[in-house]
Amino acid sequence: MIKQLSQRLLGPVTLLCLALTFWLGLWVTPPDRIQGNLVRLLYVHPAVAWVALYVSFGTATIASILYLWKRTRSFTMDRIAHCAMEVSVVFIVLTLITGSIWGRPTWGVWWAWDARLTSTAILGVLAVGYLALRRANDDSTLRARRSAVFAILSAINVPIIHFSVQWWKTLHQGATVFTSNRQLLVHGSMAWTLLLSFVGFTLLFFWLLRARYRLEVLRESTQQMMLDEALLLRQREGVM
Amino acid sequence: MGYVAAGYSFAFGGLALYALSIWWRGRRAKH
Repeated sequence: MIKQLSQRLLGPVTLLCLALTFWLGLWVTPPDRIQGNLVRLLYVHPAVAWVALYVSFGTATIASILYLWKRTRSFTMDRIAHCAMEVSVVFIVLTLITGSIWGRPTWGVWWAWDARLTSTAILGVLAVGYLALRRANDDSTLRARRSAVFAILSAINVPIIHFSVQWWKTLHQGATVFTSNRQLLVHGSMAWTLLLSFVGFTLLFFWLLRARYRLEVLRESTQQMMLDEALLLRQREGVM
Repeated sequence: MGYVAAGYSFAFGGLALYALSIWWRGRRAKH
């Protein structure tokens, strides 16, 4: 009952959160004292990056670990990893684009070979590499195992991205929502909009993952049906 | 405001296009 209700509500709640983020971010929240209207981009970019690096890549990594672990090994895990990685590619690309659009008026450049930006771009290349690796293998078991190992190895880059602003001197700023003492630096409508954007984009990830998973199941069943039909045809040819 | 409009267009538009691509691929798989 609860599962059914949450499945039904996922789409409308996601849409509501994103519509509110859009409206609050563009019209309700005030311009920043230093950044002016550019601060409005920060209701999009950090939330998209959060989903790209932690939620979607994290889901793909956990599903890959669960696939490799004998007790939980199933093609469902492999499918989840595959679908989450595809969604991750979209979010990584959008993270880089929205970051670049914010960087141009703020830093004066569209792109800088700074540690945070470069390591995020590398993660994007790894995620695309994962999808390419899946296409290179026809054997489903071999494909699942190889891509799971690749996903886990690629995930090493995620903590590197996270700590890059502390480990290296970067153009990208460090933590700006919380101080090192866990005190909030953003207040009022700005804080609520930022929180709402994180919730909205996270829900959107789960909505996209569910849709992409259903598509994968549909594709597999269609392929199986076509294979069965071809086999039947060959058998009939043999009889004749 | 041009940068803000571009950022929102890419983020929301890009995700909408991706959602549309899933729907389109699903339609193709059915037929």
